[in-house]
Amino acid sequence: MNVLEWSFVAAVLMAATPVLLAALGGALCAQAGVFNIALEGQMLWGAFAAVVGSHYSGSAWVGVLIALVSTAAFSAILAVGSARWAADPIIVAIGVNLLAVGLTGFGIRVLFDVSGTFSPPDLQGLHRMTFLDGVPVVGDVLARQSPLVPLAIVLALALAYWLSRSATGLRLRGVGEHPEAAGSLGVDVTAYRTTVVLAAGALCGLAGAQLALGNVTVFTENMTAGRGWIAVAAVMLAASRPAWVLVACVGFGAAEAFGFRLQGVGAPQQLADAAPYIVTLLVLVATRLRWLRRTREVAV
Amino acid sequence: MSTVDAAPKPPLFRAAVRHPAVVPVGAVLVAVLIGAVIMVASGIDPVRAYTGVVEGALATDNLDYTLSVFGLILGMAIVFAIPLRMGEYNLGGNGQLVLGGITAAAVGLYAPLPCALLVVAAVLAGAVAAGLFAAISAPLSERLGIPVIISTLLLSPIAVAFGSYLVRFRMTDTGSGVSQTPRLPDAAHLGTLGDLRYANVGLVLVLLVLVVFWLVDSRTAVGFELRTLGANRRFGAYGGVHIGRLNLGAMAAAGAVAGVVGAVMVLSPPYRFIDGALTAPGYTFAGVAAALLAGGRPLLLPLTVAVFTILQVGGAGMERDADVPRQLSEVLQAVVIIVLALRTVVEARRARTGRATT
Amino acid sequence: MTTPAVELVGIGKRFGAVVANDGVDLTLRRGSVHAVMGENGAGKSTLMSILYGLYRPDTGHILRDGRRVEFASPLDAIAERLGMVHQHFKLFDSMTVAENVVLGQEPRRSGRLRRSLLDRAAASARVTELAGRYGLAVDPGARVGTLPAGARQRVEILKALHREAEVLILDEPTAVLTPGEVRSLFAVIRRAADDGATVVLVTHKIHEVLDVSDEVTVLRDGVVTAHVRTADTTAAALVTAMTGRDVVPAQNTGRGEPGEPVLEVEHLAVSDGERTLVGDVSLTVRRGEIVGIAGVSGNGQHDLVATLLGTHRAAAGSIRIAGVDVTDASVRERRALGVAAIPEDRRGEGTAITMSVAENLALGHHRTPPIGASSGRRRGLLSGRAMRARAQELIADFDIRTASEQLPVGSLSGGNAQKLVVARELAHEAPLLIAEQPTQGVDIGAIEAIHRRLIGYRDDGHGVLLVSHEISELLALADRILVMLGGRVVAEFARSDATPENIGAAMSGADQAVRA
Repeated sequence: MNVLEWSFVAAVLMAATPVLLAALGGALCAQAGVFNIALEGQMLWGAFAAVVGSHYSGSAWVGVLIALVSTAAFSAILAVGSARWAADPIIVAIGVNLLAVGLTGFGIRVLFDVSGTFSPPDLQGLHRMTFLDGVPVVGDVLARQSPLVPLAIVLALALAYWLSRSATGLRLRGVGEHPEAAGSLGVDVTAYRTTVVLAAGALCGLAGAQLALGNVTVFTENMTAGRGWIAVAAVMLAASRPAWVLVACVGFGAAEAFGFRLQGVGAPQQLADAAPYIVTLLVLVATRLRWLRRTREVAV
Repeated sequence: MSTVDAAPKPPLFRAAVRHPAVVPVGAVLVAVLIGAVIMVASGIDPVRAYTGVVEGALATDNLDYTLSVFGLILGMAIVFAIPLRMGEYNLGGNGQLVLGGITAAAVGLYAPLPCALLVVAAVLAGAVAAGLFAAISAPLSERLGIPVIISTLLLSPIAVAFGSYLVRFRMTDTGSGVSQTPRLPDAAHLGTLGDLRYANVGLVLVLLVLVVFWLVDSRTAVGFELRTLGANRRFGAYGGVHIGRLNLGAMAAAGAVAGVVGAVMVLSPPYRFIDGALTAPGYTFAGVAAALLAGGRPLLLPLTVAVFTILQVGGAGMERDADVPRQLSEVLQAVVIIVLALRTVVEARRARTGRATT
Repeated sequence: MTTPAVELVGIGKRFGAVVANDGVDLTLRRGSVHAVMGENGAGKSTLMSILYGLYRPDTGHILRDGRRVEFASPLDAIAERLGMVHQHFKLFDSMTVAENVVLGQEPRRSGRLRRSLLDRAAASARVTELAGRYGLAVDPGARVGTLPAGARQRVEILKALHREAEVLILDEPTAVLTPGEVRSLFAVIRRAADDGATVVLVTHKIHEVLDVSDEVTVLRDGVVTAHVRTADTTAAALVTAMTGRDVVPAQNTGRGEPGEPVLEVEHLAVSDGERTLVGDVSLTVRRGEIVGIAGVSGNGQHDLVATLLGTHRAAAGSIRIAGVDVTDASVRERRALGVAAIPEDRRGEGTAITMSVAENLALGHHRTPPIGASSGRRRGLLSGRAMRARAQELIADFDIRTASEQLPVGSLSGGNAQKLVVARELAHEAPLLIAEQPTQGVDIGAIEAIHRRLIGYRDDGHGVLLVSHEISELLALADRILVMLGGRVVAEFARSDATPENIGAAMSGADQAVRA
């Protein structure tokens, strides 16, 4: 088994991208003070919408667009519920996650009369960037990827820059840190929160599209398989800073890709299934231990 | 500050509107309506579908099976409800369930114990294993600040994978090509109730757990402290409640109940641990929905669990009679939860009219 | 006569059954300092919230330079050149002074692509310019979270000035300031008024009104009870207008001999990991005495009492309660040894507003008879009947106004909720009572009742540690007064030696001679 080759880096990025896109959405929400744990369900909806869109239009990009728009619309439940109506975002999100599982399963039954998996032979996946073939390093890493992979990385860096340097980024951070203060300065807290939750929905739509049309070309019931939760953990790990979210997600991608390689050399599939969660938990515990050592004040 | 009399409302009306059952019933009604809209949009006759649900669940032939599912969902509802009392969300029910089930299977298969003892030992072992596992989340939350909702969700798939590994590689029934354990010996089978085929002693066990939960919740200092933390955690800390210990106890208890449910499932027909069979029916999240709907209150649980059991079991009937995909049950569960969460709008509006400030 | 800068005409506002403002008129003249006075609950905050667009009035209207204006939100008020400095600062601790000042109205970079970017240099320059013009010393690059209260307030004022406020509303601006900081704030206020600004000073401190204002309006129970030029009034007249009678504060008359110590603190230090919150505090409280702790809010008093009760951990030093070392003990162990506590934050820590009055009165008593049982067959069980019976006793004894002990605490008024907390804690008969701001935000009647109870508790032979930000309250109740500044005890006075002046001086650090 060799992990020191470019194809491994490519596998890491591929595994990391859906999680990264969703986690960026979660980070935006956290910066605005919304604890968004509906990423899992929204990503699943995005995957479903992408496959449906691609199937009916015959174009993967139409699928991506439909995933983007419809997942943003789907996230309106959380946006309106928690940002506008002040409902408990955790309970709404539990409902949204369950709703996504139900609706997508229901959807493939009603639309295509299949159960579990929908993968028509003519389903269009996202194009690989084959024009990079032969380019050293870059080609090795990106030629077999969809354009959403580099887009996710660029988005992470752009969001980091935007949050720290732009006026709207400053206001967004203000909304998260002290909503009342931001409101008293004329910043519309509800509008900011509604917008970021919708934006997170759009990002989850992209994440789902990458998962269902980029990583593979199929929709399976519950195919997100906990990636949305890893994304939530990544947001926690990174303290909601997009650049660190990128680091955390690449780490997760490495765990998943490494798990696959282990399976290739005969390790049980269950280890590969559990690896990302084990790694995420261990890193979470390690960073929290460091944090604990720094702040001694513990409530009893 | 001077006050004037509020406009009087008839007390009976006010009592009726404030009754704790109003919100759950309303949420279910709204969900049923939304479900009907979804069905009409999908070209399905909602009346036929709902008739299918009720008949599927409550027809005399099916009552036995419905009752057994009621027990399992009730168990998983308690799993979520116990930590909910102190304001924590245990979403790791699947992992806890699987760990309890696989442990019970291991004891049932390998422990050299006589008949009556074997069943008891298997159930207890399942409870202990799942309880210890769930308890991990308490120190993670109290000492490291990782929310219970996150740690339970991350721990759950690890336990599911572990169970799956054991049944695939260590405890597998080599004769069948399926990922399942051998059939447990007769000594490890749960007792039956009369001539019922599905509902067995497991249902009684879960009902006993509910009674204990109710007694602890309403009649003990620990139950009072749990509810106090749920209402205001800082108030509890200031009043001398040991938050860490209670959280540990609540998570361990919740895990233990999940372990019991897992054990019950494995010690009932077909008396095997089958890979994926414990989590596939979705009892965990049906339990979550039922517990949220009941606000974690033990005495409301049987009612809300009944609603979701009918949806769950009736879903199959609906599929058979009206050709409506079973997944609609999940949609309805989800809608109930969302409607419930959005009820705050109504409450906030009510509070605004009665708010006092300077 | 010129048109006033702002006129409030016939303002009325009610919240449910509570009338907060009733036909209030207020005229603010350009270039003057106008004090708005009243006790807690008199309707000052509601009136200012209406002026600043946070609430809409039920009746009446607002004139700005003679024009009728409608404020749907603070944005409209800001657009009309109104600025407000809130009592509780609304600042972003993680951001710099300059970011705090410009947020919402940021200077942008030039160029089509860069227009959405913040121009940090321009923001800093703007802060430096405004600070120079009004004599407000701040560093535009400093993180606001690291600044002391006085500097944080200056940031708040700069926020209003950045938005070119002509009418500046200051809500209880001196509550968190040392006397020295108050003096420089008043200098800034004068300078702004002389410069043509209109300043509204909301306060309940009479000497401040007399010191700095040109005109006073007094509110009581939502109506105006006096509107005079400051030069034409006296402290006594203002008190009468505020309270409707001449106040005779509950006086601590007579005292027994202090008995054995119930609290001994030696070299206690508390830290949050980065800053020292409490440093090297030693103090003793004996049976039969009330020991007061004076200090401006945020000088470590809250961290001290939280550490004494056990909700915070000590970094160094030792705590003995009733002779037993409890430095590492849990809250429950300490309470069992004999501490009771009235917390500062009634809604956040002292009650659970969704639980019933009876349940709120039971917490802490629920493991001892008659409600619970500490040992024997019934150990760990709870008697609902005993809980309700005990609640009814306390409700009667402490005159808590509620229709039933089954109602949620959220339905009680502030004064009654506070009486509930006092009742619950005094019922412990604990040798040591820690009372933190026990009369904050409650009406005069409740204040007197609580003061009487505290003195009675002392007279029954218990020890009381009383934290208050009101010098008058400490002078009325305490047998000894310690002064905290920057997390340390900097002075100690016997009651006979204490005056508002020497306590005030110690609170501000001006008097370093009298070291404890």
